Amino acid sequence: MNVDNLPQLTQFQVDEQPHIVLNKKICQSCDHHACVQSCPANCYTFDEATKLMSVVYETCLECGTCYVICDKGAIDWSYPRGGYGVRFRLT
Amino acid sequence: MAQYFDVIIVGAGPAGSMAALKLARAGLKVVMLERGRYPGSKNMFGGLLHNTPALNEMLPAFWERAPLERRVFQKVLAFMTPTSSVSMTFETENFEQPPYNGYTVFRPAFDNWLAGEAVKEGALLLCDCTAEDLIQKDGQVVGVTVKGRDGKLRSSIVIAADGVLSFMAKQAGLRRDFRAADMGLGIKLLLGLPEATIDERFHLARDEGADISFVGTTNGLRGGSFLYTNRESISIGMVVHLDSLRASGKAPYQVLDELLQHPHVRKLLKGAEPLEYSAHLIPEGGIKAIPKLYTGGMLVAGDAAGLCYTNGLNLEGINLAMTSGALAAETALQAIEAGDYTARMLSSYKKKLDNSFIMKDMKTFKNAVGMMHMERLFQAYPEIAGNILEKIYRVEGVPRSKLLRLARKEALKNVKLRDLISDGIKIGKSLL
Repeated sequence: MNVDNLPQLTQFQVDEQPHIVLNKKICQSCDHHACVQSCPANCYTFDEATKLMSVVYETCLECGTCYVICDKGAIDWSYPRGGYGVRFRLT
Repeated sequence: MAQYFDVIIVGAGPAGSMAALKLARAGLKVVMLERGRYPGSKNMFGGLLHNTPALNEMLPAFWERAPLERRVFQKVLAFMTPTSSVSMTFETENFEQPPYNGYTVFRPAFDNWLAGEAVKEGALLLCDCTAEDLIQKDGQVVGVTVKGRDGKLRSSIVIAADGVLSFMAKQAGLRRDFRAADMGLGIKLLLGLPEATIDERFHLARDEGADISFVGTTNGLRGGSFLYTNRESISIGMVVHLDSLRASGKAPYQVLDELLQHPHVRKLLKGAEPLEYSAHLIPEGGIKAIPKLYTGGMLVAGDAAGLCYTNGLNLEGINLAMTSGALAAETALQAIEAGDYTARMLSSYKKKLDNSFIMKDMKTFKNAVGMMHMERLFQAYPEIAGNILEKIYRVEGVPRSKLLRLARKEALKNVKLRDLISDGIKIGKSLL
């Protein structure tokens, strides 16, 4: 099983408005980038070359791990608008 | 123009729906705001709905109507090393009598059903509605706004049953910022497998289900793994403390993959088809991490109130959530009858919780939070157990030791005597 593709099993109703907004300047100077490895949906990527953090909010499972683990105040995190975001069918 | 309700409930999960059911049945004008397309579409848990007297009382013999998967009658606790497994299995026919001790359920099915029961009693359910801001007046909560929608909803009382991250409790100033050490991350993979195969593989008959807890399969991270049998699928996953996950530098799905690759687990999952992947946080900070539970015009219930505990053997949350929802509703009813929505009036909610099994159990096992932060429990001790059992059973023409001597020798190979004693005291204080 390829665990990197797990979120592909899950259904999402993608909103055009992101529910996660990063202050990328703070991410640039962050010394741990714990969000990158902790996110269970692998939504965060830090590009070492450009020093840019990016987030794919479209496959966010809305667990809040990044919201709790970021101790730099770089993540503005809220629930998506009603009806959007992850939609569990069975779990 | 604002619409008025007696009670606004934020979140149509188990806590919110129980509150709505009770309030609507009493004839109050109550609305549930659910941010998902349907109740349960944002919710996940390991898989076990515990017997909950408050639910049995509200909906007698609900098990004949609710969408349940299997009745859990087999409990397994397994200590694992990369190559061995030491397990204890408990099965009893006594769990086969109603009210049953627990059921595996799918949250999108069960939560949706429970909210529907509240709607049948007259509660209004508004899906696709994410509560955004609390409306406050003179220090009292008097309503909420909905994200992306105009207008306001006003009420005498708001019940915040908005889940573990409770932005409502935060806005009301009832909770502090979260600490990573107080949060567990649960991730889960649902795997399809034919019903007959599950019955055979786990030695189950009829609607019987199994609940397996694994210790030692989280690659040294503080936490545990679980496996539940549903009718035609298996839920497998793990819960790890967020601070431990962060310190490990590992991705959670990589740790899960190691569990899936374990030789013992592979046999259990052979031929299973991945169906869905999910994740959620769990409030695991125990009684110390519980926020303030009420303020003027507002009560907090379920995960939002941090009502959840584990002592390593019991992992309970959904039953605490439903019971707290019922107690919040009871408090709201009394307040509305008295026409008094002040914090002073609503403080009886805390007393009700204190007098129930919820706070009593959380107090009884308050030291278990510390025990669950003991690193050795999750790697060194499962290894010692595996090594002792291997020495006991291995036959190779080498003279044997008596058991205590063998156990002491094997234990001291992995853990210092001083640590063994202090861990023993910690475990004793937590459970004995």
